[in-house]
Amino acid sequence: MKLYLSLIILLPLLGGVINALVGRLFPRRVSECLACGVIWGAFIASLFAYHDYNGAIRVDLINWLAAFDFQAPVSLYLDPLSLVMIVMITFVCAVIHTYSVAYMTEEEDYVRYFALLNLFVFAMLVLVLAENLPLLYLGWEGVGFCSYALIGFWYREEKNATAGRKAFIVTRVGDTAFGIAIVWMYQLFNSVSITTLNQMGSTVSVGTITCIGILLLIGAMGKSAQMPLMVWLPDAMAGPTPVSALIHAATMVTAGVYLLARMFPLISPSSTALAAIALTGGATAFYAATCALAQRDLKRTLAYSTISQIGFMMLGVGAGAITAATFHLLVHAFFKALLFLAAGCVIAATHHEQDIFKMGGLKKRLPITFWSFLAGGACLAGLPLTGGFFSKDSILMAVWLKGGTLYCGLYLLGVLTALLTSIYTFRMIYLVFGGDDTDKLHCSSAHSCKVSSVMELALIPLALLGLFGGLINIPSYLGVGWLGALFAPLTGGTELETSHSLELGMQTIAGVIALAGLAIAHYRYGGNRRQERLTAAAGPETGVVSFFLYGWRFDDLYRLLFIRPYEALSSFLWQQIDEGVIDDSLDRVAAFFGRSGELLGSWTNGRVSIYIISFAAGAAMLLAYLAWLS
Amino acid sequence: MEQIFFYIFAAVVLIATLLAITERHAVHAIIFLATSFFGLAGIFYLLGAPLVAVFEVIIYAGAIMVLFLFVIMMLDMGDPDKVRAPSLCEWLPALIIGIVLLGAVAALVVTHIPETLSQWSYTDARHFSRVMFQRYGIAVEVVSMQLLFALVGALYLGRRK
Amino acid sequence: MIVPLTHVLLLAGIIFIMGLACVVAWRSNLIMMLIGIEIMLNAAMLAFVGGGAHWGLVDGQIFSLIIMALTSAEVSLALSMVVYLHRRRKTVNANDFSELKG
Repeated sequence: MKLYLSLIILLPLLGGVINALVGRLFPRRVSECLACGVIWGAFIASLFAYHDYNGAIRVDLINWLAAFDFQAPVSLYLDPLSLVMIVMITFVCAVIHTYSVAYMTEEEDYVRYFALLNLFVFAMLVLVLAENLPLLYLGWEGVGFCSYALIGFWYREEKNATAGRKAFIVTRVGDTAFGIAIVWMYQLFNSVSITTLNQMGSTVSVGTITCIGILLLIGAMGKSAQMPLMVWLPDAMAGPTPVSALIHAATMVTAGVYLLARMFPLISPSSTALAAIALTGGATAFYAATCALAQRDLKRTLAYSTISQIGFMMLGVGAGAITAATFHLLVHAFFKALLFLAAGCVIAATHHEQDIFKMGGLKKRLPITFWSFLAGGACLAGLPLTGGFFSKDSILMAVWLKGGTLYCGLYLLGVLTALLTSIYTFRMIYLVFGGDDTDKLHCSSAHSCKVSSVMELALIPLALLGLFGGLINIPSYLGVGWLGALFAPLTGGTELETSHSLELGMQTIAGVIALAGLAIAHYRYGGNRRQERLTAAAGPETGVVSFFLYGWRFDDLYRLLFIRPYEALSSFLWQQIDEGVIDDSLDRVAAFFGRSGELLGSWTNGRVSIYIISFAAGAAMLLAYLAWLS
Repeated sequence: MEQIFFYIFAAVVLIATLLAITERHAVHAIIFLATSFFGLAGIFYLLGAPLVAVFEVIIYAGAIMVLFLFVIMMLDMGDPDKVRAPSLCEWLPALIIGIVLLGAVAALVVTHIPETLSQWSYTDARHFSRVMFQRYGIAVEVVSMQLLFALVGALYLGRRK
Repeated sequence: MIVPLTHVLLLAGIIFIMGLACVVAWRSNLIMMLIGIEIMLNAAMLAFVGGGAHWGLVDGQIFSLIIMALTSAEVSLALSMVVYLHRRRKTVNANDFSELKG
């Protein structure tokens, strides 16, 4: 087991380091195969680890930080949560790496891209497998840095570099809160080991646990793009599409949910913290769904959709249902990565046109892409019997069963959000793929609207996993769920027992909601109405649509509250203090000396009277001094 | 008895000097100054220096003051309208310095009182000249050479082109 | 001595200060400045003579005579300079002659 875990961590690191250092010397195919091969190797190692798994196990590798009482070795912890995470992460990352080989064929800087991608996978695996909080923080920061570097991959355009910086700074706010929580936990419990900390949940007051829980929530908010720190994710779509698929759909943004699930035994005694988590998740899910309704850019719609789905996962964690949240995390990873990769195929085919109101007729040109995208969209919307349906419904059921006014209110909000999700998903599908082949894209032999078959074939395994993902955790009236059984030893892993009829009833409600959303979207965007929508959207946006399009104007709010005062302060400190006081003080001292010298120099003005007076005054002072002495 | 004379002569000297320095008209100032020199000569005589008193009258009040008068009248500086007396603001540094100095001198002189010595003696001309030419012969020669320099210098400065 | 040395020295001090005040105050007239110098020199002579009388020595009087000789030499030179300056600039204001400035 130690071998497999070490391989899982070290293979991506090795690939990344080799590519970073000497990748330019190899032929292109060699470095690409190296990058993909290490990830597939890590996937195989994780399968072996799953095969050998029989209970939670801790593996110590080497000593890292050790001073006085503070011990933070490089030790890995394999329990059901991290096990399913590493299998999912390595598989999705391997598929995306293969896809990127085809997507980035025209890119000159592929070495940097693959090195960063490998390093990202390494950091994510460290984060998931870490047994102590400093190691987890190392992975946390590592994914943050790789995300920044990959978002701003085409940094020569200023917009991309700015988006990367924005992501880094906003997540930094969360990282600071997380860091404070780590230090506080060490001060309270004298240990940073996760297994030790999770047993200490009952030894301190509920108020302290609430505060720690809130700090961890803020850290998760930053990384998982929840309100109010969600402004970076839509702008992060400036990076290449495989990056968006990998980082901002499947792995990095789930790190926040993973952290809360990991520390759940510690924070579960505090119902206030759990309520805060659930409220954050529910509010964010609703917010993002409304914004996705009005977006014009394909990738931004998917970004808001990601924010919304992660809100659902947070809602599940807040309701205390770790199994449901993880179930949704896994299925979401599959279908969101699928959706992003399919969007990448569409964008490549339309030659980087990302406005959905300018697309159309792609159903006939890109059939595989269309069916994969439809599969992913069905999962996202939660159409009955898809994987997304089961996972979303298990979260909603856990929220309903938790009881209390807050959770029932959140349940209703969740149902409304599911309706909106379905609407915007099918809006996207109708607008991008619907319509006749009106040749709007000017496809010709010069630039054909086809995509490489590698890219399209990579979509298929993800589509199958998404559609049949419901098998991971089948509802109780059908049998024993595999994931539920696996997660039984975890706190919050056990599912609440309910009657089968209640379960069936809730699933029926969810299914009806999803189909209703499809019907509304079809009514508005299907068939002939599509053309009307396109012409209507040609003009500038107004009112409610504009409010949703710009993300409820949060960017403008933050600019008003934080950025402008900060810029004013820094401009003041620069011009008034740095230049005025610190730089100019030297000039002023020199000028003062010059002026005083001039003043003294005006004493020698050649007038005898002044000299006589000075002489007499000097003599008088001398005599007075002598008189005083004696 | 001689003490009263001393104080009378001292008062004359002080008042005459004061009037001399505050007088706007230069010729009047010179006359006041001559008066003060006469008083000073009396004081010298009372202090047992008759030769110095006589020389004071002859040389100082007689020659030097007359020289001053010559120059003043030659430059036609006597006209009070052309000459401007110093204003109070110009007297101010003088007053300040004067007060400070006076305080210092008074403090020094009053605190260091020398012991009273043997009785006063009156120096006659024979004793005076014997000491001067025997002990201070070199000084006499140097001073006469200096008078020569002054003479030459005055001639040079005053020559007409 | 008929009066204590202290009184003689005090008198000499006062006369000296008056001479100094005259030099400092009369900046507008070179002749008056020279008169102030004369007064100061006289005060010095008085101090010497008083000192000589106190200690019964004749050296004080000799030195005051030498001062007198020096004074006459200096006055003749000073007055010829005043005449010279007056011929050049038609003024005897001491503040007008400031070529040694700086």
